[in-house]
Amino acid sequence: MLYDFLIQPFVDMATAPDFFLQVLWEGLVSGVLYALIALGFVLIFRSSRIFNFAQGIMVVFAALTLVGLHAMGVPAWIAVALTLAVMFVLAVTIERVVLRPLVGQPDIILFMATIGITLFLIGLGETIFGGENKVMISEELGIPTGDTVLEPWGGLLILQHLDITVVVVATLLVAGLLAFLNYTQMGRAIRALGDDHQAALSVGISLQTIWVLVWFIAGIIALVTGIAWGARAGVSFALEVIAYKALPVLMLGGLESITGAIVGGLMIGMLEKLFEIYWGQPFLGGNTETWFAFVLALIVLLFRPQGLFGERIIERV
Amino acid sequence: MKTITKLATAAVLGTTLGTAAVAQELYVPNLAYRTGPFAATGIPLMNGQADYFTMLNERDGGIGGLTVNAEECETGYSTEKGVECYEKTKGKAIVTQPWSTGITLQVLPKTNVDEIPILAPGYGFSPMADGTVFQWAFNMPAGYWDAASMIVQYLEEEGSLEGKKVAFLHLDHPYGKEPLPLLETLSENKGFELLPIPVGLKEMQNQSAQWLQIRRERPDYVVMWGWGAMNAGAITEAVKTKFPMENFIGVWWAGHDADLRLVGEDGKGYKSISWSFPNLEAPVMQDIREHVIDAGLSNTNPEESSGVFYSRGIVISAILAEGIRTAQEEYGTAEIDAAQLRWGLENINMTEERITELGLDGMVPPFSTSCANHTGHSGGWMLEWDGEQFVKVSDLMNANTDTYQDLISAKATEYADENAPWPTNEECSATN
Repeated sequence: MLYDFLIQPFVDMATAPDFFLQVLWEGLVSGVLYALIALGFVLIFRSSRIFNFAQGIMVVFAALTLVGLHAMGVPAWIAVALTLAVMFVLAVTIERVVLRPLVGQPDIILFMATIGITLFLIGLGETIFGGENKVMISEELGIPTGDTVLEPWGGLLILQHLDITVVVVATLLVAGLLAFLNYTQMGRAIRALGDDHQAALSVGISLQTIWVLVWFIAGIIALVTGIAWGARAGVSFALEVIAYKALPVLMLGGLESITGAIVGGLMIGMLEKLFEIYWGQPFLGGNTETWFAFVLALIVLLFRPQGLFGERIIERV
Repeated sequence: MKTITKLATAAVLGTTLGTAAVAQELYVPNLAYRTGPFAATGIPLMNGQADYFTMLNERDGGIGGLTVNAEECETGYSTEKGVECYEKTKGKAIVTQPWSTGITLQVLPKTNVDEIPILAPGYGFSPMADGTVFQWAFNMPAGYWDAASMIVQYLEEEGSLEGKKVAFLHLDHPYGKEPLPLLETLSENKGFELLPIPVGLKEMQNQSAQWLQIRRERPDYVVMWGWGAMNAGAITEAVKTKFPMENFIGVWWAGHDADLRLVGEDGKGYKSISWSFPNLEAPVMQDIREHVIDAGLSNTNPEESSGVFYSRGIVISAILAEGIRTAQEEYGTAEIDAAQLRWGLENINMTEERITELGLDGMVPPFSTSCANHTGHSGGWMLEWDGEQFVKVSDLMNANTDTYQDLISAKATEYADENAPWPTNEECSATN
């Protein structure tokens, strides 16, 4: 029994390396998408201390807007631009109508406000676009379909062109985001606000502008995530559920760390896939992905309560 | 004392007037879900159901002269909200339509006390077929065990299942687990290996782990009990992993046109067992077009209204309407109550002739119910995706109910024992 549990999975990995690579690849693709969603959470949390419960519905709303605009006859890339404009208007509206009046309120109030935003966007989305599953306009956006079949060690490794595109685009997006945060004035202002709110305000950084900016960036991330997930299995309100997969990523990586979101997403994506295939399915009846990431995050929290990359909180009494 | 008398009089008057107001319509609430992760599959069904009753109201003035009020209570497919909806509507309802196996299981004991029939066509708890135990529950025209039996039968037509491997990809939810007892029995009896593969609610759209398992295990067939976004997720993963579509069969809730449209030609060969079929030339469809769709009273669209799920919604409402009519004829009144409707639902006789009279030609197989048989076991057709739509690829198939009648009785009795005291129908013999 111990051999089966501790040794056999590694023997399986070694004896079918092509399958092992396939598992790793699928985990990497999932991980990239988890990281993207987690990034949306982190950006908003860093700059405003708000845990944005609406990140999931923003993914759905952005994807639905894109598909809906195209269905109305708008060419694909113009629909993308218009969707970005909608996400910008949404960011401005949220800042003006929801966040600004709540400045200075306890964090829990702001969190509750994002639940309100979620419910509003669900209702608005369903009223405008309906609840039916919609086909993502992958072809019109030039997202490649088909696959590349490799035969490493005489085995089989299938790489979907869609997945390759997702990994490349997500990597570029993250790289662009990091460059923006590190090398531009606005980006540094976002980081400053995350590091020390009062100090940032005292040197003239506009809270309102930064909030609009981070919500808009979260909207851009939501659109990319929505296109990626929607191209896999259609665009529907079920996509919202995927946002919950980002929660253990945040626990693992730390709520404030962009690096944590990326590394945490990739770690969880790959580890949960490996665990499910080599331990979950043979020994636990499968479907371990629903809880594995949370258990992993809890174990990390036991030793590092701030997460792998979170900032250690020292409070003086 | 005077005040108490006044209050009592007002209460009696209010109740009487209230009853009089209720009696002007047949209140058949629908615990619908047009929102949430399962909305994509719920909407066409709800539209079909609503449009059939609107058509009856517009064309015939309702049923027996009373208009039908098929008010929807939104559950979002949430069991908790479903129970709330049941409690909210049960006061004047003559039937409840829970629309989820989870909600059905929750309200099942309540309906026994409240004495309201549950109508769960093609879903719910399979032992509900035993009307002697489940007096108030109906899942006609066919149950999940019928579906499992027919799918296995269909696979056997391609050759013996002895020594073969069948993966059972299912939603990790009461609905998905429902056929497991029968599939396990069939696997023992027929000598095939059953490989259950659960899909969690959060994994519906990302089933790569499940399909990696399928690639590793190399099953001969994949049988799917999926719902909502799970179906689209599974079908796209099957295409991605190059699983032969002709060896992939779903239950009737996994045969939604919109899910297959996502993969189009690549989904060719995928099958789904079904007790309903969209016959666009059927008279009922023409009546709905004339009285409802063209009159602007429908929420449907041309693409949806030609699909399997919209027409299934129509069939479901037609079955309920037939139960109402049967009860009205038996009791000589249009204003039937819940107990009378129960009798009506227990005495439906959908012969070929009756199906034609109702304008449902080719849309539902013949079936009949009795006090002992609340499922009807209509059988079904195997449908196949041809790249653009579902087409029939089999004659009418019938489930081998004889082989699991004992299992139905045993599980029904087990349920009654676990929920004792559970009143049963002593007047009805199991052979009725």
